[in-house]
Amino acid sequence: MKNVLKNISRTLAAILLLGIVNSVSAEPLKIGYSDWPGWVAWEVGIEKGWFKEAGVDVKFEWFDYVASMDAFAAGKLDAVSMTNGDTLVTGATGGKGVMMLMNDYSNGNDMVIAKPGITSVKQLKGKKVGVEIGFVGHLLLLNALEKAGLKETDVELVNVPTNETPQVLASGDVDAVVAWQPNSGMALDLVPGSTAIYTSADEPGLIYDTLVASPQSLATRKEDWKKVVGVWYRIVDYIKNPKTYDDAIEIMSSRVGLKAGEYKGFVKGTKILTREEAKTFFKKADGFKSLYGSTKISDDFNVANKVYDKPEDISSYIDASLTTGI
Amino acid sequence: MFSQLFSVHARLDPKQRVFVSILSFIIPIIVWCIVSYTPFVWHPKVEITSPAEVSYFKQGMLIDREIFDKEVEGAIQNNQVIPQGNPANPVYLPAPHEVATALYTAFTTEPRRRSEKWLHESLWDSIQVIFWGFFLSSLIAVPLGILAGTYDVFSKLFEPFIEFFRYLPAPAFGALAVAILGIHEAPKIAIIFIGTFFQQVLVVSNTTRKLDPSLLEAAMTLGAKRLSLLFRVVVPGIVTHLYKDMRILLGWAWTYLIVAELIGTSSGITWFITQQARYKNFDNVYAAIIIIGVIGLTTDIILSMLGKRIFPWEKSMAKA
Repeated sequence: MKNVLKNISRTLAAILLLGIVNSVSAEPLKIGYSDWPGWVAWEVGIEKGWFKEAGVDVKFEWFDYVASMDAFAAGKLDAVSMTNGDTLVTGATGGKGVMMLMNDYSNGNDMVIAKPGITSVKQLKGKKVGVEIGFVGHLLLLNALEKAGLKETDVELVNVPTNETPQVLASGDVDAVVAWQPNSGMALDLVPGSTAIYTSADEPGLIYDTLVASPQSLATRKEDWKKVVGVWYRIVDYIKNPKTYDDAIEIMSSRVGLKAGEYKGFVKGTKILTREEAKTFFKKADGFKSLYGSTKISDDFNVANKVYDKPEDISSYIDASLTTGI
Repeated sequence: MFSQLFSVHARLDPKQRVFVSILSFIIPIIVWCIVSYTPFVWHPKVEITSPAEVSYFKQGMLIDREIFDKEVEGAIQNNQVIPQGNPANPVYLPAPHEVATALYTAFTTEPRRRSEKWLHESLWDSIQVIFWGFFLSSLIAVPLGILAGTYDVFSKLFEPFIEFFRYLPAPAFGALAVAILGIHEAPKIAIIFIGTFFQQVLVVSNTTRKLDPSLLEAAMTLGAKRLSLLFRVVVPGIVTHLYKDMRILLGWAWTYLIVAELIGTSSGITWFITQQARYKNFDNVYAAIIIIGVIGLTTDIILSMLGKRIFPWEKSMAKA
């Protein structure tokens, strides 16, 4: 009898141990992504089965952008796709992450759109601007105003959720709005004669779109993440190659439920970066030409707007080693 | 004949009832057709067919009629080519045939990626979320409700807290549900549960309280003990009303589906609706809304027919 009990308890212990070992090694990397062309591009690698070929077990989970950040902050994901500015906000409020891969920077998809009659940022003086205060659109607006020699106090800000900006501009209650695709395109369509007076193409590098991993996942499974980065640059090559471009767009457009032709316009405003390009932006420097500089500017902006209280330690948010291969 | 249709509290004969019921669907559809297909009704926009020399006009663009008229006037004054266009409705009001086509293509379009689901598979996911949320809620809420409706002590023990809790909006628990239950089905089911459970307890206890007290008195006079009072008098006494309550509450659970599915990973019919709305494909959005309506109505009709089978005496009660 004793023996039987002993055997049972041994077996149980073995099963438990196996379970623990398994959960460490065999668990797929869970990556959250959402509707932005630079992130939809992952779909190419998923569809082609390249992750399996590279020998890395990943599970991509499709979210709404804000929901994906919530899930990451709650520790339910190993990595998530975020802009550099939002990485800071998520980190400062408890969901620390490390930017280890740069997908793209916004190159025109984010816009300041003014109603007919206003054709330059200078003319915004004394006007009302609808923008989601404290988020990336606000940052773009401040950048636009600064370049035109205006201050934030020269315009009146109206807090508007980004997905409602088209209707708000159409209502005539504001003179301009700040939005990104697809909302920016909708606003231009909805208000005939309206124009984009400033876009992220005027300040490339203001908004970097990155893959952000949790520090513990990055530390314990670095080899797996290296493989993920490898697959990413295979995807980039596939998109950049004119011969396979159409197939890549076809796969990406199917992810968001659009026809390939319709989707090309959205991809255009996104500058997807090759490894060489990413390497230069991963170098430490001031200003928008470096992820460090751009993130520092976001940090200043966040503190100034009381999104959080103290400046964050920028370099703890960035790990270039997987991209540079050092 | 006509006056008979409007007599107070009298049931129409079966043929009339069917006819009027069908009419309740036909009328909104007719209104929709009139607004969509008669160019002089509403149609506040103009779809450009020829932009002529107006710089910002593009073919296929929708323009407010006022602006269009102004540009036409301007063109006439300046002796320019006159822009052309047809009256159109805003993009958020597609015509019935467009929605019908969208409905058909949504089901017949093959998934374009390996990991993508057919629409009916997404719908099945949604139905499962509803089912489990409602099932788990009923499992706990119905016994609690019956107890609270029968014994005052349970009523005072459960109901004040539930009254408080039912005012908390279920979607507010979204981030919390993800933190505790993960990102897949579980937090969605939890939201349906939270949205249904508290109302369910109160509705069931209310129904239980309405049981004819003379039934209880008679049973006690005949010597019924506590448990048999509960299981052989109270439960059979309210079961038909309970069944009706459950039908209404199931509809309630459906209304939480969209908020529930926005939590965690995008899935089910909600993924289809939000994604299509983001890119202005409102014909698909209407199609999806209609699908949900049809599923809801069909389940309710089936449950109502089942109810007649299970509780044949209910019919005779209605007639009396």
